[in-house]
Amino acid sequence: MTRTCTTLVIGAGFTGLGTAIKLREAGVEDVVILERADRVGGTWRDATYPGAACDIPSLLYSFSFAPNPSWSRAYSPSAEILRHIEDLAERHGLLPLIELQTEVTALELDEEAGEWVVSTDRGTTFRARTVVVASGPLSDASLPDIRGLESYEGARILSARWDHDQDLAGKHVAVIGTGASAVQIVPELVKTAASVKVFQRTAGWVMPRVDLPIPGPARLAFAAVPRLQGLARTALFVSHEVAATGLVWDTPVTGLIQQLGRAHLRLTVRDPWLRRQLTPDFRAGCKRMLMSSDYYPALQQDNCKLITWPIATFTPDGIQTSDGIRHELDAVVFATGYDVHLDGPPYPVTGLGGRSLSDDWQGHAEAYKSASVHGYPNLFFTTGPNSGPGHNSLLVYVEGQIDYAVSGIRTILDRDLHQLDVKADVQRRYNEQMQRRLARTTWMSGCSSWYLTADGHNASMYPGFATQYRRQMKTFRTRDYDLVERRVARAVGLAPVG
Amino acid sequence: MAMDMDLMLAKIKDRQWALADIDWDAPGAETITDEFRPKLKAFMADLCWIENVGARGFAAMATKAPTPTIAEIYRYFHAEEQRHANAELALMKRWGMLDEGELPEPSVNIRLAIEWLDTYADDMPLSVLGTVIPMLEVALDGALLKFLLEEVHDPVCHQVFEHINNDESRHIAVDFEVLDMIGHAKARKLAIEFVGNLASPGLIIGALMYVPLLNRMRNNIVDMGLQPERLYTAMGRFKKLGDRGEHTHRVPLYQVLKVHAGMVVDPRHPYHLVANRMVWLSERYPRALLRPIPTWFKELTYEPVSVGTTQDADLPGARTGDRMDVA
Repeated sequence: MTRTCTTLVIGAGFTGLGTAIKLREAGVEDVVILERADRVGGTWRDATYPGAACDIPSLLYSFSFAPNPSWSRAYSPSAEILRHIEDLAERHGLLPLIELQTEVTALELDEEAGEWVVSTDRGTTFRARTVVVASGPLSDASLPDIRGLESYEGARILSARWDHDQDLAGKHVAVIGTGASAVQIVPELVKTAASVKVFQRTAGWVMPRVDLPIPGPARLAFAAVPRLQGLARTALFVSHEVAATGLVWDTPVTGLIQQLGRAHLRLTVRDPWLRRQLTPDFRAGCKRMLMSSDYYPALQQDNCKLITWPIATFTPDGIQTSDGIRHELDAVVFATGYDVHLDGPPYPVTGLGGRSLSDDWQGHAEAYKSASVHGYPNLFFTTGPNSGPGHNSLLVYVEGQIDYAVSGIRTILDRDLHQLDVKADVQRRYNEQMQRRLARTTWMSGCSSWYLTADGHNASMYPGFATQYRRQMKTFRTRDYDLVERRVARAVGLAPVG
Repeated sequence: MAMDMDLMLAKIKDRQWALADIDWDAPGAETITDEFRPKLKAFMADLCWIENVGARGFAAMATKAPTPTIAEIYRYFHAEEQRHANAELALMKRWGMLDEGELPEPSVNIRLAIEWLDTYADDMPLSVLGTVIPMLEVALDGALLKFLLEEVHDPVCHQVFEHINNDESRHIAVDFEVLDMIGHAKARKLAIEFVGNLASPGLIIGALMYVPLLNRMRNNIVDMGLQPERLYTAMGRFKKLGDRGEHTHRVPLYQVLKVHAGMVVDPRHPYHLVANRMVWLSERYPRALLRPIPTWFKELTYEPVSVGTTQDADLPGARTGDRMDVA
């Protein structure tokens, strides 16, 4: 079966739904959203581990065009974010557009028709004049490659796919990893587990997170005067922008941020050796900053222990560390993050002349303004190469990407284009500039992180303020693209006469 | 040819062993006579704490390793020294030298070494730690372990030290490779670092700590009826291995330690008058001035299997480190 549409959006998370809302506002009604799961929500549908919450204030971690006046807390828990996303879909009448349980298996350009052919695991094929990839950079997770893991007989739980059938109360549990999800999981686990052993490889910078409930009157005021919420959002936005001066660029402000991190450590951890174990050995900002006020106290609970010895191997009963000790465990939580697709989406994308995106991006992914890739016309990426923030809300960046994709799609429709393909030299110059600017950032200050490829190339982060990124995404310059109008394509026999 | 550190790291990961691999109840413990036991206990206690001090040294070195691979290797070595200390404790337990939950009391020289490490080690450049650690490993570890195998006929002890020796041979190989890398630095950098540290309280206090520590071990060995030549041979090995390196001779502190080793191995050298006086003095070091033992020191355990956290001490098989009665 084949269906045809003007725009096909891959993914029904925050980004996919936001794209559909904006497309419709721009008059593009013929939209299909493909979602591999059985409900909308993306990361926030999947992140259901204990303590899951955003680490950017909710007022900023939402779309400016779809504010939610009723956030219950400064940093809302995942269930509340998921409800907000579901509400977005419902309120904006997007549900009829969504094809649930439909996973994209391939994306292939039909050059003659000027359409993308989108294959799915259900056998349905879609043909779309334009496609927006909104499947997110952090949507897949798998068990890490640790020696002996296959021999372990206890429960294994992935933080990104929490197994709620496992009751960890009264159990001896290990948490592997000390990143963004671990600092949220550990404080919850210590409340009920018999013991929690936290296996750390690298200590991260942990900043206090003041997570207060938003009082009822404030919520009422936000609902009654949306401008007030807008002002609060702007204040948060500006304060995060200020942080960029130390978190994006390696400057004296980075040193100040580190001092703040060390002060947080000194105030909350009494034991000097534990403090040493928890002191990062890289510049603040180089890896993702961790936001938690209850992680350090949790580590010092009687039933919790930080273990920094390397893991020698898993055994059938638990974990053997290199200090020669075997730790018997009932369950192991892998808070080891996501499979980051720095080399493109996890399905084949075939563009002009049969070129393959995974080949083009092998080694280093690159795009123009993170959204368009030469050789893949009429295709728009969100959260594409060099679009990641290190200091501000991802959704601020995503809004810019949505604006850009909508402008591009509007251009294709308004000018009746067969093909809109970014020029190779424009893309090259843009990326040369990106890499020059990246050289001075904290991400390149010597640590190894998931932001970088194995050879140390940064194809994930945007080296600038969110304001700069938004500004660049506001303008869609057609002169940066090769445009082929449909009538011309027909005249030269590129497109069928229809 | 330069050592392939990636291969070395892979080898280290392949050769991990655990206390649980050893049958601590196997026959052989009875070979330790009642007469020998107290002397062996003092010896083992020092040995085990020296492993732990070495472990802390590697922790300091990991933060200043010249490459990420070497940093990772040091991270393993830190853990492996701890493993050796744990295994030695388990031997002591097997030989009836420790009560349930008891850990041996560290000597005052060890306590001073701990204080020095905790205060200065993290700020010492690699050229200092990278020279001192190999000396400690070769001189103390190498000598003591070999002596032990000659004196003790418990097959479990031999099994344990076969593991430990295999680990140590990798430690020493990497130590001297890094020492050679240090020597490859510009002469000016080496000189500035050396002169800068020579005048630093860290190195001066370090020397004041190191001299009596070494002589105390020497005296202990002699008390046990062993010829001090064992220690001297090991110190000679430091020179031999160091001189094999193409650039090691350029490291000023290496030259100083070599000269020092020359004095230590000469029993008639006036050095021993001073060093033994320092041992005597350190014995009288006011205990009140010693700082509380850092918690990294209390991570030692003779329990091969850990269930729950240290604080769950009443659980069967729980780690007992925090119950240690020292402070």
